[in-house]
Parts: sequence; structure tokens; C-alpha cells
Amino acid sequence: MDVIRARGYHHWDGRLESRRFPWWPVTRTGIRLAFRKKWFKLFFAGGFLPPVVALGFIYASERLGDFSSLLRGNAKLITIDPKFFMSFLTNDGLLFMIVMVLVFAGAGLIADDLKHNSLQVYFSRPLGKKDYLLGKMAVVFFFVLVLTFVPAVFLFVFKLVFAGSFKFFLDYPWLLLSIAGYSGLLTVFFAFYTLLLSALSKDGRYVMILIFMAYFFSQVLSAILRNVFRTPYMVLFSVRENLKQVGALLFGQKPPHGVPVVWSFLVLAAVCGLSTWVLNRKIRAAEVIR
Amino acid sequence: MSLEVSHLRFSYGKITALDDVSFKLGQGAVGLLGPNGAGKSTLLRILLGFLAPERGEGTVLGYDIRRDQALIRRAVGYMPEDDCFVAGMDAVTFTAYFGELSGMPRQEAMKRAHEVLFYVGLEESRYRLLDTYSAGMKQRLKMAQALVHDPKLLFLDEPTSNLDPQGRKEVLELIEDIASHKDIQVLLSSHILDDIEALCSSVVILNKGRLAAEGRLEDLRSIDYSLYELRVKEGEAKVFRRELESLDCRVDETEDGLIKVYMPAGMERMEIFRAATRAGVQIRYFIKSKTSLEDLFAQVVGVD
Repeated sequence: MDVIRARGYHHWDGRLESRRFPWWPVTRTGIRLAFRKKWFKLFFAGGFLPPVVALGFIYASERLGDFSSLLRGNAKLITIDPKFFMSFLTNDGLLFMIVMVLVFAGAGLIADDLKHNSLQVYFSRPLGKKDYLLGKMAVVFFFVLVLTFVPAVFLFVFKLVFAGSFKFFLDYPWLLLSIAGYSGLLTVFFAFYTLLLSALSKDGRYVMILIFMAYFFSQVLSAILRNVFRTPYMVLFSVRENLKQVGALLFGQKPPHGVPVVWSFLVLAAVCGLSTWVLNRKIRAAEVIR
Repeated sequence: MSLEVSHLRFSYGKITALDDVSFKLGQGAVGLLGPNGAGKSTLLRILLGFLAPERGEGTVLGYDIRRDQALIRRAVGYMPEDDCFVAGMDAVTFTAYFGELSGMPRQEAMKRAHEVLFYVGLEESRYRLLDTYSAGMKQRLKMAQALVHDPKLLFLDEPTSNLDPQGRKEVLELIEDIASHKDIQVLLSSHILDDIEALCSSVVILNKGRLAAEGRLEDLRSIDYSLYELRVKEGEAKVFRRELESLDCRVDETEDGLIKVYMPAGMERMEIFRAATRAGVQIRYFIKSKTSLEDLFAQVVGVD
């Protein structure tokens, strides 16, 4: 310990500042920690496969003559319109990749802090509960937006570039808003969904399974109930189908199931409400000092 | 005065956790003592601004405990009792991260993290994953994160728990260095009375939500009672004990027959000899003892 004394302790001559966004270090750290996981990187990279395929379709749609031998009269398949963008954002492959990214990047967001008692160190800083939760949610915001909004906007821009005109934009001036709206919905929903499950257990591995199973089990349950009761309302039990229902509304398309979209919206909102309630009960600054 | 509270009261529903607690923190290290349920944690929660007291007022480093909660948490350092870390991080990233959350610029926080990790003796392992740290290393890490933003006041909650003797000795030396040479006020909450006695010049003792004793250890040891140690002939202790207790003395007997007599203030030591005469016992050893913190704690809290 004499060695420690010899090194000494020097007072810091800087000034502690209030941050405009006190949650930002939490978000940045959450994103960096996710990239240290091998499996996360694999699925995150896999999440860019759907936009690459969609980009190929957009390119082909502008070069129909070059691909006529391949298409053989099926040119309608690659009609680029709002439905195409809706299909891109609601396709099963993309949603699967988002869920897998959240399995690896989101499971430990709160579970690890509960397990390793780090809440007490967070809240001994000038960081409120809202800042903490916003910081954690923003990690999910980042990954979901990078996999949905960003590629969708790029696809939109590439469509204009490949077409060499603004006709597509003038035909569908509201499409960018639809993309932003649906990406925002996915982002907010998955943020609440991930944090809800992450706050339910201290075991990160268990939460990983929960995130995966809750999403896919809801589909299985919905399919079973639809077969048993023969009513389309059973799609309300499926996370994926509810997202598709709301997506159809936002892109001005016919909903895929004969259920009012407002019900699907309410189901998604209920999950967010449940998440808020659970997070409010689980994360209490005053109780971190025992 | 770095910390001052007056007439603090706080209840959890019908249970009163703190009642009319007032004290001021002196210089150096101050010990916060009390049995389980005494109100120590509630007091720390109020001082860190997590709870607002029902009644009473207080300031921490000049910040009001009701209004300036975020400012208090920026200015003080807190070392929790439990092991705590962020999975997947190394010590430098962890320490810098919490420096940044305290309001330090990112680059400064990183530079400072290296400095405090050197200071607490984690320089060799500062790039190792925290998941692989031993109990002693985690304890030093908690100290580093509490010091990274250079607080003027440090709250240490059971800083030597779960440590082996060597680790405990090193952490105590570190705290002593901080409290006595680094111009940082330390409030040390611990169940290990030897630690408090070794480090603190003053103590605050809570019992059942109330302030049981507060002040400099030297003063507390002498003002309220005197402690005498004595021995009597084997078999005579019982009757002598009854006689002393009738005089409002508290009497403890050790396994080897040493009798400790806590005399109330104002009572003369000759009363002990008079009691011996009345009981017909022969005193064979008599010495005025210096009261230990353990004696003081037992006296004010009423437990052995």
C-alpha cells in the first residue's frame, strides 16, 4: 500500500457539467458492448440481407429490358410502389433478424444491471430513472432504426437514382412519412418489448430465450387458436401479425387479416403499457441502497 | 461543514425509519453505526437525494437535500456494499463510464480513470474483464468509481466486507490515506467496529431510527459513563453483580471472569467498593478501562 501512497491522489481540476442528454453515455456504452458479441455481429450483418435483396429488385425494376429473359413476363413481381416498401419492412426475414439482434444486444440491457447490482452505481450519479431507461431504450432504437428506417430511406433514394427522375417521389410524396412512421412504430414497440423482458429476470441467458420465444410462441399460439376457433381475431395474439396489420394501415394498404387495425394497435400499445408498469416497479432508485 | 442535518424524520408507511435525527459532520472520517433496522440505509438514501424527508432539513456540501438532489449526487462519491459492475467491461472503461455519467468530459474521464485505478492498486489488471475480478479487486474497483470524479465527500458502505485480512488491511490504509491526506471527507458505514475505531475520529450512532450518540470518539468515551474492569473471588460475582445493578450500573462478565462495570455519569468509583463491602466480596483486581467503540456501541444501543 506504500506503493499506492507514493503514486498519490491528485485532485481533478476540471469542472463537472450538466449534460443536455444525460442518457447518451448509457446508450453509447450499450451499443459498444453489443458489438463485442460474436453472435450479435453475425445477426446484425444478416439484418442487411433483406435490404440488399430489395436493392437488387429496385435495380432490376429499372432495367426490365436487361432482365426480360429471367422474368419471363413476371415483371409485376418487381413493381416498386408503397406495397413493395411495406413488404420490405414487414417481411418475416427482416423481423426475424431484428428479433435475433435484440436477443443478443437487448437481453442484458437491464438483466445484467440487476444481476451485477450496478443500478446503485448508476443512480448514485446525477442520472434519473427516466434517463437510465431512455439510455437503454435508445440502444434498441439505434439497432432497429439501422435495420429498418436507414435501409428503407436508402432504397427510396436508390429508386430515384436508378430511375434518374423524381417521378417516384412525386407519385408517392407521403411514402417517406410512412417509412418513418412504421420504422418508428417498430422501434418503440421493440424497445418496450425488449426492456420488459430484460427486466423480468437477472439471468441474461434466460431473457435471451424469452425474447426469442415470446415472439415466436405468439405466432404459434395465434395459428393454433385460429384453427380451433376459426376466427381472424386470433391474429391479435401474434406480435408479427399485429405489426403487419398496423404496417398495412401506415402504407395505405389493405390489412392482411379481417380484423380492425385499431385492435392490433391496441394490443401493441398494451405491451408497451405493461412494459412501462413493470419497469416502473423494477427500477426504483431509492431501493438500490439496502 | 460538509454535511449537516437537523430534525430529520422519515417513515415507510406506519414504520418510522428516522425520527428527529440531527448531526453535523466533523473533519476527517466519520463512522455511521447502528444495528440492522437502525435507519442507516434510509439516512444514506436521504443524503444521496433518493428520498425526501417528511420533516427536517439538511445540506450536503452546501446543497439542499430536498432541492439539489442531482447536484449532491454529482458532488459526492458513493461506494456501495454489494459487488457491482457492468458485465463485459474492463476496469478502465467502467471507471471512465461512471466518471462521464457524473458529468466529466469523455476524454478527461478516461484519463482520470487510469489515475484512480493506479491509485487504488489496479494498474496491472485495469484492462481485464471485470467478470474475472476477485472480491478484493472488486472492492478497489468500487473505490475507484467513487473517486473518479474527485468528490469532496465520500460515502463508503461496508468497504471491507468479504475481504481477507490482507485485503481488508490494504483497503483500510487506502481509506485512511483518503480521509487524512487527500482533503476528502469520508462517511463510513460499517458493522465492523474495529474498522470504524481504526479510521474514524467521530461517530454517528443510530438506534431504532433515533440518534443514539454523536460526536468525537474521545469525547463519547468519557462523558456519559466510566468503565472499570475488576475481578472478584470465584463464585462471588453473582451477588456482587446484583449489588452493582441496583446502583444502575451496567455489568458485563467475560468468560475468563473479568467484570466490566459501566458507571453512570456522576457516580463515584468508591461506590463500587461500598457495594463490594455490602455484598461481602473481595475485589482482587481493579482498573479504570478505556472504553472501546464496542463498549460504547453496546452501551448506547443496549446490545452485547
